[in-house]
Amino acid sequence: MGSLAHVLAPLAQIDDSFFKDRSESDCISDNGTFCASWAVDNIDRYIGPALEHIVLVAVSVVAGFAIALALAVLSHRRRWLMPPLTAATGILYTIPSIAFFFLLLPITGRGNLTAVIALTAYTLQILYRNIIAGLANVPAETKDAGRGMGMSDRQLMWRVEIPLAMPEIIAGLRIATVSTVAIATLAVFAGGDGLGSELVGSNITFKTGVIIAGGMAIIIAITFDLLLVLAQRLLAPWRKVRPV
Amino acid sequence: MGEAESIATAEGSAQALPVSFDAVTKRYAGAEQAAVDGLSLEVGAGEICVLVGPSGCGKTTAMRMVNRMVEMTEGDIRVGGTSVRDRTPAELRREIGYVIQQIGLFPHRTIADNIATVPGLLGWPAERSVARASELLSLIGLDPELADRYPSQLSGGQQQRVGVARALAADPGLMLMDEPFGAVDPINRERLQNEFLRLQAELRKTILFVTHDIDEAIKMGDRIAVLQQGGKVAQYATPAELLMAPADDFVEDFVGADRALKRLALLRVADIDLWEAPLAHVGQATTEVRAKLEGAEVPHALVVDSDRRPLGWLSDADLRNDLVPARPDVAADPIIDRDDVMRDALSDLLQAETQYGPVVDRDGRIAGILSVEIISEFLSSRDALEEEHEAVDRPLG
Repeated sequence: MGSLAHVLAPLAQIDDSFFKDRSESDCISDNGTFCASWAVDNIDRYIGPALEHIVLVAVSVVAGFAIALALAVLSHRRRWLMPPLTAATGILYTIPSIAFFFLLLPITGRGNLTAVIALTAYTLQILYRNIIAGLANVPAETKDAGRGMGMSDRQLMWRVEIPLAMPEIIAGLRIATVSTVAIATLAVFAGGDGLGSELVGSNITFKTGVIIAGGMAIIIAITFDLLLVLAQRLLAPWRKVRPV
Repeated sequence: MGEAESIATAEGSAQALPVSFDAVTKRYAGAEQAAVDGLSLEVGAGEICVLVGPSGCGKTTAMRMVNRMVEMTEGDIRVGGTSVRDRTPAELRREIGYVIQQIGLFPHRTIADNIATVPGLLGWPAERSVARASELLSLIGLDPELADRYPSQLSGGQQQRVGVARALAADPGLMLMDEPFGAVDPINRERLQNEFLRLQAELRKTILFVTHDIDEAIKMGDRIAVLQQGGKVAQYATPAELLMAPADDFVEDFVGADRALKRLALLRVADIDLWEAPLAHVGQATTEVRAKLEGAEVPHALVVDSDRRPLGWLSDADLRNDLVPARPDVAADPIIDRDDVMRDALSDLLQAETQYGPVVDRDGRIAGILSVEIISEFLSSRDALEEEHEAVDRPLG
């Protein structure tokens, strides 16, 4: 625990301006549930971390998706790779996030890189499993027809199998993204940016700050989710059609 | 070129390719018996060759070796004189139409895009593919408005038609069809079969058609290969020969006890000599009609209008009047078309519980009378034919 305190100490440095603001209002000194006037005056300080948070999540999910897709495509035609890959991504997912950060610190040091590596690793399990499930659900006769008309394995993969797996792939992306938005608030322990620095870094006991930062994380998660629903509509229009 | 060429090819200008199986064998690893054992078969260009047999006879395997969806173990298959092994499987498959029972339309692609699959793989310009897709939609009798729909929005029968159109898209010289109408309900199957035969009359493709249904084989095939276990050809013959002279007990069993009736399915009404009935015209004196009835082949008089279209049969009561009425007592049902299949015509007669049915040409004019007696005479003359053919049709070896 000594080492944890050591690591956290610089993060938890008290921000003078933070408390200066607090002392100016009764709500702040009483630490009321939500100090609206403080929120209005200080909303600016959350914009930067919120943007950082978005970038952190986007980079991690995109990287995780690229890796998971590559692994899925690789193991789709080499079935024997599937159990070890499923196990490996599963094990990564079971590592507690803070422990993961500390495991990486000696290698990659403090900073966003460490945070991104850990966050990326967490997305792999969900994304890999969903892509594999999506590919497995492509009807055998559709593949047979594609192959029988002269599609190469690669053409079949990119023109038929992946487009048809899109609903499952996007379902996986939605879960992975929303959970990454949540886990990314812990990136602060790895020295990363994001809303975590406002939640944990400033003062976890100040309710208004927690509500603003937490609320922003929720809004970010919902926005990402809606964007992915929209992407699903655009990428899989055939799922929405009504039989005539 | 583009459009002009693609329209020209829709009329069947592409060369239909002959197919020859030369001692083709397929052995699956770990299987004791070969799935197909030394199959040799010649399929003429522009013919529908039906591979028929009980399940497990290797008919689908035999077909799938042609486009190398299954790789043969021994022997060779030549399409248009060239071994299927001379090209990569992908190249080969793009030159061969492929229709399967489950259709296998791409659910994520529109109907037009589905049809344009092979043109897309062959790198046709987009406009040409689009033009070809709409041309094929009208060829198979589907509303061009369906082009932008997705497969799930179409009925099973429509989807199956699209499957056929998709196989025809790049105008292949050979089509492989694996139970293409097997998953459709009986009424639609009949319709699809008829449509396909009409299409084939225009296109004249070489078609390898797999089915387990002998009736479908007889209906669709120019020649039928009856296969038994191990892909052995029990008999390779025209449908008529198969029905008249089954080569052995296996074929006879497979063809079924009702093969006499099945022969009727091969025949159109126009193929046999019809009888003539005394004709009566509206307003004619019944005395003239009564005179014609003496010694006529058909003992009833048929009333026709000025265009010689049948109106009905004169009853005895009608004949007691002075003049032939415009509405005779007995309706002319069933009216049979010269192009009707004989089996259907017989069924119409039996259903209407009548001996005689007027046969009309395309314009609805009377062409003759079909009677149950003509058909039964035809069926009994079959026995003589059978004697004649028996020696000829036994396969060598």
